[in-house]
Amino acid sequence: MAMYIRVKRNKTTYFIQCDPTETILQMKEKLSNLIDQPANDQQLVLMPAGDVLEDSKSLADQKVENDAVVALTLRKGSLTCCICLFPVLVDISIVD
Amino acid sequence: MKKEDTVKLISREGFEFIIDKKAAMVSQTIRNMLTSPGSFAETEHGQVTFPEINTTILEKICQYFYWSLQYASGKETEFHIEPEITLELMMAANYLHT
Repeated sequence: MAMYIRVKRNKTTYFIQCDPTETILQMKEKLSNLIDQPANDQQLVLMPAGDVLEDSKSLADQKVENDAVVALTLRKGSLTCCICLFPVLVDISIVD
Repeated sequence: MKKEDTVKLISREGFEFIIDKKAAMVSQTIRNMLTSPGSFAETEHGQVTFPEINTTILEKICQYFYWSLQYASGKETEFHIEPEITLELMMAANYLHT
């Protein structure tokens, strides 16, 4: 094992083993196995610098080192849409 | 990396750390919890709660697990411990047999 990074979101931290030559996209694919969110809905931000990590670049390219902390953000998915729509549906049923 | 190969460690404050099973097995206590025969909740869900270990200490412990694996494979780096957490960390290490 060459290195690991700490991916954090809310109260959860994922320790992910990786290699400096791996790309950010490969990291996102590893994460998608753990969190059931596709790679293109994820955004990784290197902490504490706050730089958004690009899919095509490798970890070494973007100075992500062993034991680095990376923040995970997720695109608003179908689940949040459902929650937004829910009050609308309730309104309609009341009118009916 | 598959979900089945990971375990979730939960601190007193409810923060979750998802680490490789292989890393968690560095601790003899966790190894026993995860591999003991009979269907214990810990074995089945791969999830262990530590109500007596706070988040800072538990994160340091997880870092130590990975450092230990790296060290075993020949990478000789130093493991840095902040002086202010030393006592609590030692108590947790004693409990976890690491």
